[in-house]
Order: sequence, then structure tokens, then C-alpha cells
Amino acid sequence: MARIGVFVCHCGLNIAGTVNVQRVVESVRSYPDVVFATDYRYMCSDPGQTLIRQAIIEYGLDGIVVAACSPTMHETTFRKAAAAVGLNPYCVEIANIREQVAWPHQSEPDKATEKAIETIASIVEKVRYDEPLELLTFPVTRRALVIGGGVAGLTAALEIANAGYPVILVERSERLGGHVAQLSYLYPDFDASEALLKPLIEAVTGHPLIHVLTNSVLTGWEGQAGNFTVTLRGIPSPIKVGAAILATGFKLYAQQHLPEYGGGRYPDVIDSLKFEAMLKAGEIRRPSDGRVPQEVVWVQCAGSRDPASHCPYCSKICCMYVARQAALYRRAVPEGQAYVFYIDIRSQGRGYEEFVRQVMEEYEVVYLRGKVSKIIERNGVLEVWGADTLSGQALHLNADLVILALAAIPGAGSEALAHLMRVATDESGFFAEVHPKLRPVESFTAGIYLAGAAQFPKDIRESVAQATGAAAKVLQLFARGEMVAEPNVATVDEELCAGCGRCVEICPYDARAMHAWKTLATVNAALCQSCGACAVVCPNKATTIKNLSPRQVMAMVEALL
Amino acid sequence: MKQSPSLRALIVGAGIAGMQAALEIANAGYGVVLVERLPSIGGRMAQLSETFPTLDCAQCILTPRTVEVGHHPLIELITYSEIKDIRPIQADERAGFRVLIHRHPAYVNWDVCTGCGYCQEKCPVRVDSEFERNLGKRKAIYTLSPQAVPNKPVIDRQHCIFFQRGKCRACERFCPTGAIDYTQEAQLVEVEVQAVILATGYELYDLSRLPEYGGGRMVDVIDALAFERLLSASGPTAGKILRPSDGTVPREVVFIQCAGSRDPERHLPYCSKICCMYAAKQAMLYRHRVHDGQAYVFYIDVRAAGKRYDEFTQRAMEEENVLYLRGKVSRLMRRDGKVHVLGADTLSGRQIEIAADMVVVAPAMLPHPETRRLAGMLGLPTDEHGWLLPLEPQLHPVETIRPGVFLAGTVTGPMDIPETVAHAGGAAAKVLSMFLRQTGALVEGAG
Repeated sequence: MARIGVFVCHCGLNIAGTVNVQRVVESVRSYPDVVFATDYRYMCSDPGQTLIRQAIIEYGLDGIVVAACSPTMHETTFRKAAAAVGLNPYCVEIANIREQVAWPHQSEPDKATEKAIETIASIVEKVRYDEPLELLTFPVTRRALVIGGGVAGLTAALEIANAGYPVILVERSERLGGHVAQLSYLYPDFDASEALLKPLIEAVTGHPLIHVLTNSVLTGWEGQAGNFTVTLRGIPSPIKVGAAILATGFKLYAQQHLPEYGGGRYPDVIDSLKFEAMLKAGEIRRPSDGRVPQEVVWVQCAGSRDPASHCPYCSKICCMYVARQAALYRRAVPEGQAYVFYIDIRSQGRGYEEFVRQVMEEYEVVYLRGKVSKIIERNGVLEVWGADTLSGQALHLNADLVILALAAIPGAGSEALAHLMRVATDESGFFAEVHPKLRPVESFTAGIYLAGAAQFPKDIRESVAQATGAAAKVLQLFARGEMVAEPNVATVDEELCAGCGRCVEICPYDARAMHAWKTLATVNAALCQSCGACAVVCPNKATTIKNLSPRQVMAMVEALL
Repeated sequence: MKQSPSLRALIVGAGIAGMQAALEIANAGYGVVLVERLPSIGGRMAQLSETFPTLDCAQCILTPRTVEVGHHPLIELITYSEIKDIRPIQADERAGFRVLIHRHPAYVNWDVCTGCGYCQEKCPVRVDSEFERNLGKRKAIYTLSPQAVPNKPVIDRQHCIFFQRGKCRACERFCPTGAIDYTQEAQLVEVEVQAVILATGYELYDLSRLPEYGGGRMVDVIDALAFERLLSASGPTAGKILRPSDGTVPREVVFIQCAGSRDPERHLPYCSKICCMYAAKQAMLYRHRVHDGQAYVFYIDVRAAGKRYDEFTQRAMEEENVLYLRGKVSRLMRRDGKVHVLGADTLSGRQIEIAADMVVVAPAMLPHPETRRLAGMLGLPTDEHGWLLPLEPQLHPVETIRPGVFLAGTVTGPMDIPETVAHAGGAAAKVLSMFLRQTGALVEGAG
């Protein structure tokens, strides 16, 4: 390129308060091939953008450098402004003289000004060799795969299908409904779970656009966002899908891991789902002798909040279902006594706090703040040893039945799925979200989204809201109909490539492969993230990143030295 | 990209919920009219310092979003405006809604203003800034923050010397583009939309309603949002923890949880959900700023249910030596330049008194007053506290009894940021689903 323009932004006083912008402009004006340079108070403002557009036309600029804030802030702004008057957006570069110059060097304005000049010079060198590029677009297969037929998966599938797109819903067990199907009644209104679930399952199974596949799992997975190919057990040929939602839920921590509570050896120490089955059947009897239990103890945080021996995290859902189970027990066995051992009562949600209060006051469930240290069975009686941290006294209760609120851990098969689909998990094995605050439904793999407890334990309401949010991501992708990717990806010079395959080995994104029959490496532009690892290992410099060629990098470095 | 801007959604409130919903819809190719009461967008999150559990700076993760919303070709941003009326175009909501938007006069021609900030520099009037929770000052012509989107100021008529006494005109004189327009009048904008999302958020229970904690009149007793501003690098103290009374660094800070929450007898019965986590964060950040300081947290239950939340509060206790005291504070007393905190430790069963330099109160969350007004306009049910009720709480958390009207974020009750973002995404999904059904979802290419 021969006609480069430089636009130096004051950013109010953010830059101009430290950097002498006039001196910067004068200095870069004399730089080779810079035919125009100016400054403005806010380059991102409408008048600032107009100034850029006019200069591009007037001076016939074929590349520009905007010296301003970080490119994450306004690179898109300036690229769009330039594109509006016909300059290729990839011939627009940002020199970051705010975050990397003005802000960290406020006490040394002279040196900051020097650094700004050098930074701009280096970016001018990059622009000089920038090639015009076009955005890459890939068509999207408008069909979704939802993995897991619990309340989150059902919700997500229905949401997508209701918008008009086909969905394949895969469930590893023989029935839909997940854990909710195992529940008796729900908090905080004691509605029957069946009343909630049945219409949802019927809507899904009766939907013409949803193909339900029970007793099935993924056996193969390849491709990229917009164009995945999935192989499913029970289906002979692979199917193309554009996006996937992981709704694989949770399972309970095994009782065997808790020897202090009998490790599963005592028949009358059961997990909360076993008790749920009793409530559902309408018959509460001890497994050992069929007697109706008169003293029942719930142990919260069994395996949760215990970084030393078990899971470090809080399982989130137990406080509420334990309160509900204790109330339902008291309804079924009015003369019985219910005790709940807890550390903190976590009843956060509309009506939840009020619900727990009601369980304590109206249902007279006794809450004891403290952890149960051990459970011993003696002559058919369960001795529950613990401490009441409020009275500071050691405590021991004789119980007929003990219910453990076991930690919620990642659902069955989620580890294998994570491996197969290359989806990142967190330290506890739950699928990892891209950003804990602002991108809670996206996995680290483009085109794969997260719903419900697969990401972390959640109750029904929260799972449904998140599943709907995940569906929004899929709908957005399908409505657009195409995937757009940045064009500055890796490229191979076939003349230079010796087919050694080092780039294939090093690529962390599976974007590199060997050509089917030629001795050449290829690039899957849809997967390439422009990290540059391939360019570094290539012994022949056959692989380069577009608009970051070795010639550009060397010129940039030279300008800095 | 296929664009159908003829189908548009109105989103009321441009906090993180409204922005998230707006981006989800606009990025799918549909139009959005985003209305915000304040001059700029970002909502409560823009006031926060750093966020739990990663301690990401709120402004740093928020700014790319506000900028994206501000520049999106399919999002029409109407700030400094309020909804005057919404009604269905026909008896059936399916035909869409006609919306009247009242645009307050900024007394600045935003089309000409470049956001240079000279007017704010030159304005001679300094008044308490609501954005800074009255711990900092702003001018009579102001933007909420230097990162405001849109970065255009408004004149506060009540405090402007020109409007009150007919002279000054400093902003007009110094404005390089002639953008000041004292004759500007309120505007009535009418739009037609096919869906509505309410995302009007929350406010905090006012300290004046908590006489037991000084009723808002005791110096050095501030609410948690004010403390966020003290912690914020762009706040009134540039991130230094200085107590309001004398500007000294507080050595002992007490955080009081459940101020107005979980108190059916005197205040509100519900749990406000977010306070446990932000209190742990605030105590931790206080210790990062004041290494030899001591932080105390009075709590009833520590509610840290979320990914890495429990681990985070453990860190506050173990690594930052934040002292957690289980019990309620009964009274605050101002004596000898300190705030004496009297309470009971329910674990030891003893009365305690801490002579604190500063007290940070975590007040209950309340629905924003705007919510009630909008609910009335649309005939939507609220609970007894004013939170909007979804169609059904378990399976329909974002829908309302009115087809085409959806809820996003804390209009439905207390929620933290990730839950809000997922919930707002859910509201957007409902709108997208509706729009796609109307335009006919294209499934060619499914092969």
C-alpha cells in the first residue's frame, strides 16, 4: 500500500491528557507513505467518523491507522466507517495508544508521546502490507440436536421446534422426563410433578418437528458450528445438525463415598430419590422392616461443601427439596417427627424463604444447625451423632429413617460426551460456560450450548429459564442462516508445503488436516482461530496467517526498534 | 444475513437484562426499540466495581456490550425516555402494540454533540450524583459516567443556573459544535412493535426505612451500592476506601446482611438472593485495598449456591480473614467518631459490640417503581411486593398472561447477573420464536 492515513484520537483527555497528540501527528505525517495525518477529540463520534470517511475519499487512502483505544472497543466501528466509503475493512488497523500508552504512562508524558509515535509507526508497517479480505460465510444446517430428555432438554427442544426448526432429542434412558419424573410433588406449591411434566412430554413427543430417540447415545461427532455431523446409536446413517444443546443434567453422589453415614450398608439410610419414590407411591415405610418411621432425620450437604473429603461446592437444590420432603412426610405421618440437619438454609427464589418458614412453623419440622458426624446402626435403630452449633452442644438422635441429601454431580455420560464433542468442563466435571457472568449458556465450543444442571445444579425454574436462553442462541444462529467468520485465518502456500504434518499436530482447534491425496496440509477456515501456532512450527514458512505475514511482523518489529 | 426489521420488539430497560435480550433479537436479524429511563445504558451493573466470583471488573466486561448495543444497526436506542402508553393495536395482542414514548429534553442536540465533555468541565454547578449514590459530585450538565453509551450529556434543569436564574450559559459558550439548546422540548415518539419485553430491574430498600440502622441519617453508614462506588476505580474516590465523614481509611468495616430482607414482622419476608455473594466480594475487595483492615459480616445464613460461590465465600473467610458472625444487628450507635454495632452472635450466644469505622448495609431488593406503572398499563399481575408474576413459575418463567409480552431479569424478583442473562435470553427466545413463526422459519439446507 502506498497511501496511508493516520487518525489520532484524543479520547477527551484520556489520551490527550498524557500524550502530546500534536507532536504525534507532526511526527507520523513525515513517515513514508503516510499521505494524511490528523487528530480529533473523539474519533469514534459521528463527526470523527465523518472526518475519516472524507479523508479516505479526498486523499484516495488505501489503508488507515486509527490511533485510539483498544481494538476490542472500536475496531468494528472504524472498519464499518471505512467500508461505507469503499475501503476494505481489513485495511483498517488500530494502534492502541490509550490502554497501552496513555493510561499506564500518565506520569511520563514525554516518553508516552514517544511510545505513541513508535506504536503508530509499527501499525503503519502492518497496514502497508495488509491485503483486502472478505468475511467468510458458511451455510448453517438448520436442525438442532438436544442431548438429554429431562426438563431442560424438553424445554429447549420444544422452544426450537415451536419456532419452526427440526430437532433431534436424544435420551440415554428408556423414558423422557429426567429427574422431575421421579419427583412426587414440587415446592413451593406442592403441585404434583406429573401435572407439570405430562403436558410437556406430550407436547414434545407429539411435535411434528421433534424426533425423539430414547435408549440412544452419541457415538460420533465431527464438524463445526453450523455444520456438525452426529452419529447416534440406533440410527444407521450420520445426521447433519447445525447446533447442539447439552442438557445431560446431574446424578447423585454415591452413598458408598460416605462411610461416616454407613456407606450404603444400612438399609434405612437412603438417598432423597428413594424417599421421593416412597412419597410418590404414597407409602412411607422403612426398607428394613416395612414399619412406618416415626423419627426421620434429613442430613443436608451429604458430600457437598466439603472440600477436604468430597465436593467443595454447594449443590444448590437440596435445601428446598428437603424442606418439601419433610413437610410431605409430616402430612403423611402426622404423629411422626422430622429433623433437618443443615449448615445454612439456602432458600433463594420467589416464595422459597416463605416456604421454609412455613415448613418450620406449620409443619413443625425441627431444624438443627450443624453437621452430622456419623450414623451408627444398633438393633434396628439409627443413632445420628452431630453437633448443634447454635447451642454448642453435641447431639445424638435415634432415628427410624435417615435421608441423605447427597451432592449433585455431573450426569451420566457427560464425561464421555465432553471428550467426544470436545467441550470443556470445569474442575467438578460440569460443562464450562464461556463467561460465568455474561455468557452462561454458551460452551467454549461454538455452536454447542448448555441447559440446566449439565452446567451446574439448578432447580426446575432455573433450568427452564436457562434452557430457553440456550434455545435463543440456536434460534439466533438458525435465523441468520449462516455462520460468519473472520477471514484472517491460516493459509497454506502449496508451493512451499512439504506435507510434514507438524501444523496438524500442533493445532489446538482441529482446524488442520492433511489433504486427502496430496502431500499437503489444509486449513478448515471455519475452525481456525488465527492463533498462529501452525505458522510458528512450519519449517518452510508455508503456513502463514492472513494479514500477519512474516514480512509484516518483521516490518512491525523493525519500526519499534 | 436475512434481516426482517419490519418485525420489532420493544424492550423497556437497558440494564444487563434488556441489553442481553436486545442483542439476542437484533443478532437474529430482527429490530429492537430499546427504551431507557436514564441518559445512558448499562443499568445497575454499570455501577458495580468488580463481580463475583471471578473479580472481573464490571465496567470492563460491560463496556463491549454497551458499545455493541449502541452501534447495532437493528437496535434503536431511545434513552432518557419513559413509556407513556402501550396498548394493543387491535383487540388481539397478536397484531402488535402501539407505544408512546416520552423523551425528556436533554437541552443538548445529540445529533450535533460529539461528547467532548467541555460543557461538563466548564459548568460551574456541582451537585450530588445519584449514579455515585451521593458520594460524588456531578455537574448540572452531565453524563452518568465517562464510558456512557450514548456519550451525550443532559442538563439537569433543577440545578442549572441558566434555567433557574436566566444567566450563565457557560456550556453554550464553550460548546465547540453549538449543541446546547435551552429551548428543546420533550418529544413524544410513537412506535409500533410486535412484542414487548419488560426489563425494568430493581432498586434497593431505602435506608430511611431502616431506623435500626440509622435511617439513612447516620454518617459512615452506607448501602452496598454506595460501597460499590467507593470500590470502583472510576468512582468518586478512584477506588480508594475512604469513609464519607472524614475521608480517612476505615480500619474496621462491618457488613450487615438481610437489611429489610427475611423480616416478615417489620420489613419484607423474602430473601434478596444476591447479598450474600456481593457482601463476601465487598469484604474481600476491602481487604485487597486495606491490607490491615478487619471486615466483619453479620449474616443469618450464608447463601452461596452457584458455581464456585461456596468456594468464594470460603476464600473470603479463610484467605482474607473476614469474620463471619451469625446473628442480626439490633442497633447502630454513633459515638466518638465510630459506629458502634450492637448485635447477637447466635453461635456463641453472646452479645457483641463492634466499634466500626464504617458500616455497609445490604438492603433488600425491591421492584423498580416503573414496573408497577407498566404492569398497570399492560394489566399484568404482580405479587404483593410488586414483582411481576410470570404466566406460571416452573415451566413458563418469562411469559406473561398477555401474549407477546415477556419478562427479563429482576422484574420478576431478585436474581444475580448470570441468572438474569440466562432469563433475558429466554425472553428473547420467546420473541424470536414468535417472529420466526410469523416470517416462516426457513429450513432449506437441512439435509
